[in-house]
Amino acid sequence: MEQIKITGLSFSYPNTNGTGLSDMNLSVQKGDFILLFGRSGCGKSTFLKQLKPVIAPFGKRKGSIEFCGRDITSLSHREQSTAIGFVSQNPDNQIVTDKVWHELAFGLESLGCDSKTIRLRVAEMASFFGIQDWFYKPVTELSGGQRQILNLASVMVMQPQVLLLDEPTSQLDPIATANFVQMLRKINEELDVTILISEHHLEEVLPVCSRVLFMDGGRLVLDTKPREIGREMNRINSDMAAALPDCVKIFTAFCSGESPVNVKEAKQWLEATVRPQAEPETKPEQKQPLPDGAPAVTLSDVWFRYDKKERDIVKGVSLQIRQGTVYSIVGGNGVGKSTLLSLIGGVYAPYRGKVKLFGQDLFKIKPEERYRDLFGYLPQEPQNLFRRKTVRLDLEELAARISPDRESAEAQIKNVSEFFHLEPLLARHPFDLSGGEQQCAAMAKVMLTNPRILLLDEPTKGIDSVFKQKLSQWLKALKAQGKTIVLVSHDLDFCADCSDVCALMFNGEIIAENTVRQFFTGNRFYTTPLNRIVRDIFPNCLTYEEVIPLCRENLIRG
Amino acid sequence: MWAVTGMFQKNSPDAFSSYHPVILFLYFCVVLFFTMFFLHPVLLAISFCSVFLYSVQLNGRKAIRFNIFCMLPVTVIVSLINPLFSHAGVTILFYLNENPVTLESIAFGIVSGGAFITVIIAFSCFNKILTSDKLMYLFGRLIPVLSLMFSMTLRFVPRYKAQIKKIANAQLCIGMDASHGNLLQRVKNGIQILSILITWALENAIETADSMKARGFGLKGRTSFSVFSWKRRDKTLLATEAALLFALLLGLGLGKFESVYFPAIRIAWPEGKSAAFYLAYALFCLLPIIVNRRENIVWNKLKSPD
Repeated sequence: MEQIKITGLSFSYPNTNGTGLSDMNLSVQKGDFILLFGRSGCGKSTFLKQLKPVIAPFGKRKGSIEFCGRDITSLSHREQSTAIGFVSQNPDNQIVTDKVWHELAFGLESLGCDSKTIRLRVAEMASFFGIQDWFYKPVTELSGGQRQILNLASVMVMQPQVLLLDEPTSQLDPIATANFVQMLRKINEELDVTILISEHHLEEVLPVCSRVLFMDGGRLVLDTKPREIGREMNRINSDMAAALPDCVKIFTAFCSGESPVNVKEAKQWLEATVRPQAEPETKPEQKQPLPDGAPAVTLSDVWFRYDKKERDIVKGVSLQIRQGTVYSIVGGNGVGKSTLLSLIGGVYAPYRGKVKLFGQDLFKIKPEERYRDLFGYLPQEPQNLFRRKTVRLDLEELAARISPDRESAEAQIKNVSEFFHLEPLLARHPFDLSGGEQQCAAMAKVMLTNPRILLLDEPTKGIDSVFKQKLSQWLKALKAQGKTIVLVSHDLDFCADCSDVCALMFNGEIIAENTVRQFFTGNRFYTTPLNRIVRDIFPNCLTYEEVIPLCRENLIRG
Repeated sequence: MWAVTGMFQKNSPDAFSSYHPVILFLYFCVVLFFTMFFLHPVLLAISFCSVFLYSVQLNGRKAIRFNIFCMLPVTVIVSLINPLFSHAGVTILFYLNENPVTLESIAFGIVSGGAFITVIIAFSCFNKILTSDKLMYLFGRLIPVLSLMFSMTLRFVPRYKAQIKKIANAQLCIGMDASHGNLLQRVKNGIQILSILITWALENAIETADSMKARGFGLKGRTSFSVFSWKRRDKTLLATEAALLFALLLGLGLGKFESVYFPAIRIAWPEGKSAAFYLAYALFCLLPIIVNRRENIVWNKLKSPD
């Protein structure tokens, strides 16, 4: 049954800032699970919001959207609220009340349901999502992933027929993402709810969706099946093909049929297609020496907790980070990665143990010197760094404080904005930028202080694959300039791509530390998706770029 | 289905507090009313003993220690201060610095000291069993939008607090937080941090507003859901409370609880049939203890079937 019919939809913003939509045609069947992707700013959010007029942005709209045969703008607020659910990016911003039960009841209260109905529907949903244990909790006690599930549940209590999700997992870690996507699959399969979801990371959603749409510059470019997206992306020759999961990419490099969508299928296909490498050049067990050089950061037996009465967050960590290397700290949620980073950054002081930078005790360095020429720290939410109305003013303020005179300040700003391609963004408000652009502006700001050590907390959170590649190139360029970079991330692909040394943190301790290749090839689960696909054939490969030539050499039939 | 029904029952400190909030609220209103406005020695003795017992039931030994070591001295002081400053009354006992000390003001001092301590202990119990969500529910009934506002405030205050910490940390790392530079710079940076917080809050509030609108906020006829419901046992207890309250009001109307201290002491003591009204008050005040006791007996029986 056709549920949504879009004909000739165009949309333009009153100011020219955002990309609009042009001439979109789409027919959505009941029960479809549609994945929408494209670079940030391609109009995904704008499009999704058009399907829910109460929250649609102001602007000029042409063409028509029909919902179950009726023009969507003729739906009353009440009808829209129940029929069409919307979940957006930031889990925290969507939560309105302080208790889980109240949040679940919020929508039904708005509709004016009586207590008995609300009680039943809330109970139903809480059981469906398996969240009855949280019921009386204040929302502050939930993790990011749990909050997003709560948002989903509090939309589902209104029993929508269509669910719109705007990058719902961009702020979540991989485990929470997988959980969330499984919930969506359950909603789609068991309740027959139509789902439209926009995403940057396709790995999780691609295997469960039934259609994939690719958008570019406000246009709908592709509308295809998940198993055909690789081939189609190759056909139109888009650079966004890099965003596809490795299992699709590796397949489409050689074949053009229906591609595998998960690791298992990709592995089976690869084993049938490629001869295993007879002798791996270096065995994974072989311990490679860590890169040497002068130590930039030294931690010796560092212990930390936020309060005397609380538990230890960092437990006796000792490590050495060499100058001119990229050091990645990976690990699950809440194991103390970010805390460790802020200890290196001098935000908190350990209660036992020492942090040394270039052989000098961190807390013996005067604060004025500490945050100039020594290290820069990029927090998880780059927004927190911005102080002024435009990116330029923001950079100028900091440069004025750091540089001796106007000219050198100007030169500094010019330098960083060239390096990070900031020129087109300088006149804009930092809060109006997309996630990736904000990350660039924040990096530029931090680099103004000319740090020798750069600390990055989750630099790839909420940014698309094109920005991710840029970021990785920049880090490599900075490394070449002799900077030391310490980063904390969930993004194993990214870590594998740009770091020299990787460390796994668990429960406040560093469990393993090794050069990046040894680290990932030695792990069975905690490794890049690509390594999981090829590990039995080319055990030493971590990235797509390495695998392709090897596959080419070893193809069973040329 | 077990999990679902269990989900609506919150852990309560005792059996009495697991009853409907209206019952708890009514209990405290009546006890406080009769304690504060009548200053009748017998009523006072009854309410004091009951709330003291109840606070011990709720807080254990800690309550005994607190009541004796903190509340007793306060009561003694309040009782002593009154006759020193108030010289009303007709029965002069002696002169202190040429000021008359009267029997009436000593008596009044003692009962007001007693009332004071009783109210304090009653509020300590009140706090423990009428938690913020129960109060929100009670007042939300009267003004529905207030309960939502209250809940939203409880959501946003901790959130802003956490955010300001994050902003300060981020600013610290570019050397621009409130702990750097001279006084002027510090103040400037401090204000700047607040300004960042406000920008952030406004920016994010748009998404919150969307989330509210998307879930039908602003439609006519909004209701207020609560996790509390009237069970049979709630109705029984409410009926008991109502019956006892009726008896008390009857006694009040008949002047059975009269107590006047100035100019001369005139107190209606419980005699003959009027003792029934005092019994009603005692029963009312002891309700939580009776309810808890009964619950204990039931459980003990269940545990050891003869």
